Amino acid sequence: MRILVVEDDNLVASGIKQGLSQAGYTVDVADSAEAAEDSLRNEAFDLAVVDIGLPRADGLTLIRRLREQDNPLPILVLTARGSMEDTISGLDVGADDYMTKPFRLPELSARIRALIRRSHAIADTCLHHNGLTLDTNSRTATLGGAPLELTKREWAILEALLMASPNVVSKDRLVQTLAGWDKDITLNAIEVYVSRLRAKLAEGYIEIRTVRGIGYRIDAPA
Amino acid sequence: MAAVFAVSVFFDYRLAKETADAAFDQSLTDDALDIASHIRNSENLPLLELSAEVETMLRNDAPDKVYFAVRDSAGQLLAGDADLPDFPVAAHKQAEFKDSAFRGEPTRVVFYKIRSPHGDLTITVAETIVKRNGASRTILTAMILPTLAVILATFMAVYFGVRKGLRPLENVEKEIATRSPRDLREIAIDATPREIRPMLARLNELFDLLRLASAAQQRFLTDAAHQLRTPLAGLQTQIELATAEGRFQSDPERLSRIEDATERISHLVDQLLTYARAESSTAATQIFEPVSLAVLAEKAASIFLDRALGKNIDLGFEIAPATVDGSPWMLREALANIIDNALRYTPAHGVVTVRSGMRGAAAILEVEDNGAGIPADERERVFERFYRRPGSPSGGCGLGLAIVREIAALHGASVELADPQGTTGLRIALVFPRAGAPAHTDPHRGIDSPAMEKP
Repeated sequence: MRILVVEDDNLVASGIKQGLSQAGYTVDVADSAEAAEDSLRNEAFDLAVVDIGLPRADGLTLIRRLREQDNPLPILVLTARGSMEDTISGLDVGADDYMTKPFRLPELSARIRALIRRSHAIADTCLHHNGLTLDTNSRTATLGGAPLELTKREWAILEALLMASPNVVSKDRLVQTLAGWDKDITLNAIEVYVSRLRAKLAEGYIEIRTVRGIGYRIDAPA
Repeated sequence: MAAVFAVSVFFDYRLAKETADAAFDQSLTDDALDIASHIRNSENLPLLELSAEVETMLRNDAPDKVYFAVRDSAGQLLAGDADLPDFPVAAHKQAEFKDSAFRGEPTRVVFYKIRSPHGDLTITVAETIVKRNGASRTILTAMILPTLAVILATFMAVYFGVRKGLRPLENVEKEIATRSPRDLREIAIDATPREIRPMLARLNELFDLLRLASAAQQRFLTDAAHQLRTPLAGLQTQIELATAEGRFQSDPERLSRIEDATERISHLVDQLLTYARAESSTAATQIFEPVSLAVLAEKAASIFLDRALGKNIDLGFEIAPATVDGSPWMLREALANIIDNALRYTPAHGVVTVRSGMRGAAAILEVEDNGAGIPADERERVFERFYRRPGSPSGGCGLGLAIVREIAALHGASVELADPQGTTGLRIALVFPRAGAPAHTDPHRGIDSPAMEKP
């Protein structure tokens, strides 16, 4: 996996390079948008980490230009400004994710891993989580390699929770998810489905956590 | 107004009264001429020939009484009432009028000169002034009522006209008065009276300048943030790399101190910038929009759940719909600071509950914990910048509640610190007094409301 880091601050760039190299990536550094465009024209990368505050053309301009050229490269934006407007405009011009400086290296490499997986797995219809696999194409599930029988509603709830993980999903959202089959589904019914799911998942390492007053969450994979 | 009214009535009255008086005086003169016509032409006959009826008619002009006397040039009474006073008529005049009292009543008197076979005579006729007074009163009434009506009508026309004319001005005044002190949006000029537009235009120019200044300050903050955070990111990465390479294996205590310090600097930089941004925010950068407090609270769940789990704190939510006009990022920061405080100061196995909803007409966003709480006499101080309560755990920088208060003020909201019901701890609430009911159907209906529990 080859990553292009576009960052003009030497201290940060060298830190990221070392860290990602230790995580097993090949890392090139470009110190300006122009240098980055040169590298991207000539070589193939799996992902770019782009700092917004670059000299001359900034990171947002670089991303906009790449997207205008229909370059689908996954891009993670680094912002030191910490203002929401920046991160939102970053995502608006076509970045896939963002992190605010200062960041922790493990989190950076986790996000990069997720982005690369997502980009490679657009064709892959499976959701993986701690030994649980949901094949959304064939609608089959396995837990620790063994087949897992799920009803339509249990499947829908589990899928919604896995896709949102590690974010919390409200019961209301789950009601809306099931509304296609059940017009009058109640919050109590959701609780029943979740408790059945918990029983079925008890063998594995998947825990559906109750968040008091809102809904449920599946923790990030270990 | 009253003075103009009085002067106007006075002059009108004078004019009308003079005319009326002239008419009455003429009638008095006619009486004198009437008497003159009864004076005999021969010296040898009695002077006056008045039948009883004629004299009665002459003397009675109900409701007034008429008195008369005829005197010769020496003042000798020839006929009539002897007690009527005499008065010398100036040589060049035919008649002289006087106001005087006679037999205890006010009268108008005419002294009229005639020539006769009996020599120069003066006919004096006096009449009480009951009719004159009646006429004066009639004139006065006829004068005052229409004038009063006109004045009243004018007053009403001016009052309502001015009020109507000033209403757009009042709207402008209200618009400015209800603004937050940092709201520097331009005043919409279109709907204002033409007379004040130049003034409003100058005011808008001033707002423009202030917005520019504020934008420059925002840029400075953005740059400062960049300059501070980038080396911090470098420092953090280097520490992590050194740790990964096992450089701190001999002294893990030192590593944790360095990490703690880095964390605190990062937190402080974040808080400083948030505070500075909130403090210098103006409408130039922050146009308010409807923000759902319910959505805000729900999103906080995903952000803070891991920290709560890490400290074994039961983080829960009681979410009811409530919408306010505000800045999404600022309200998010305010809530984040309140929850951060609660998680920081609540001991392990504590309970923290985040609530959104309406209290009467006010929208509420509150966080309750069952930690140690804040004594009532310290509740004002905790809002001061950099104030940290003695004995509070490390990691905080003393800006959290200052930020919350700043953001609340920008939204016209208040920050309430209270004791939670039936437990120790602290309940801190943002109260948005002017919030309307949720404008649109909120997807986050009261999740645990009884109505929803029933199938």
